[in-house]
Amino acid sequence: MPSLNTPTVLVVDDEEMVATALRNFLRFETPYRVLAFTEPETALAALGQEAVDVVIADFMMPGMDGIEFLRRVRESWPQTTRILLTGYADVENAIRAINEAGLYHYLQKPWNNDHLKLIVRNGVERSALVNELDSRLSALESANVELLELRNRLIRALL
Amino acid sequence: MSDVFGAESQDALADAVNAAKMATLGMLVAGVAHELNTPLGALHSNHDVLKRALARLQAILADETVDRTELAEVRRIVAALGDILKVNDLAVERLVQLTASLRTFGRPDRAQIDRVDLHQSLEAALSLLAHEMRDRIQVVREYGALPEVECYAQEIGQVFMNLLLNAVQAITDRGVVTVRTGTLDRAVVVSISDTGVGIAPEVLPRIMEPGFTTRGRRMGMGLGLLTAKRIVDRHGGRIDVQSRAGAGATFTVILPRNLATGGDT
Repeated sequence: MPSLNTPTVLVVDDEEMVATALRNFLRFETPYRVLAFTEPETALAALGQEAVDVVIADFMMPGMDGIEFLRRVRESWPQTTRILLTGYADVENAIRAINEAGLYHYLQKPWNNDHLKLIVRNGVERSALVNELDSRLSALESANVELLELRNRLIRALL
Repeated sequence: MSDVFGAESQDALADAVNAAKMATLGMLVAGVAHELNTPLGALHSNHDVLKRALARLQAILADETVDRTELAEVRRIVAALGDILKVNDLAVERLVQLTASLRTFGRPDRAQIDRVDLHQSLEAALSLLAHEMRDRIQVVREYGALPEVECYAQEIGQVFMNLLLNAVQAITDRGVVTVRTGTLDRAVVVSISDTGVGIAPEVLPRIMEPGFTTRGRRMGMGLGLLTAKRIVDRHGGRIDVQSRAGAGATFTVILPRNLATGGDT
């Protein structure tokens, strides 16, 4: 059973067989916790409930395409690693995805599982590093605040 | 309207009709390739997992003993295999359906008179257009009871494909395509309505003329309706059009039930 600290991967594809195939592979071959969804809205709701490290979204989905989905993910959970899965080698959409959704990787269907595993593992590490950087930065900031306070107290004591 | 096909223009017209077929074919192939990618993607991944599962089972069995940890692992693998086979069933079924739809449009050299379930022809055309319609067009089916119709199955399939394609392309953003079927006296009726841009009244009488198109001047475009009309004429039926600019269009195909009694509509 994955513990609370187990990295989590979220998959969303409107085609259930694709979502399930991705989930099956990742559960079989990686230690990560895997959440699979067929509706972007439900997936967004789940992201509001739990910490997710890597998000894999299909491009062509009714209602909300993968780029729009990942754009929203970036907006609310910028530390996640975002991967787009697509049936097309479409330069225009690739550029849109990189610019709008801050894409980490562009994966083409049918995907290669070894490749997928590598990308997801790197994505999990990347998210961990970003989180680490975030906490170091905030530690630095609070240290800085303390330092300023100390300085002010010193100045007051000396005057 | 056979006077519009002057003998001197027959060759040019045949070329244009072929170009129209190729243009439609190109679009359909792109759509079908995308439709294939879904089940293929799932099968491709699952096949890989099956190989990995086999390798793990072989590794566990290699030393002829299975301890408790290994037994738990075997159980986990067996559960995963069950999940994989369920998805594979769905994926294979999808591929079978897709190739069955394609077969309806293949083999033009073997065009022959068959007794045809028109609902099947309509569904085949709709499944090939699924990719074009996907998230923007809703299909409403109002199917009545239809007898089998004696016709050239390939050709009638093409008529439905052309009319449905026109309907889809008339809808610029989101909309609805409604397919109705039923009988009228000794004829069968299939109507295809869209909520698209519609046809202006001054244009309406000309839409089945050769080369008429509202889709730019690209060679081969705009012959879908002409082709459909010729096929339906050959079957002793007719195509009626109702439309207003901005208010969608309805194309109604009326076919005799029996080719031998053609013209009896």
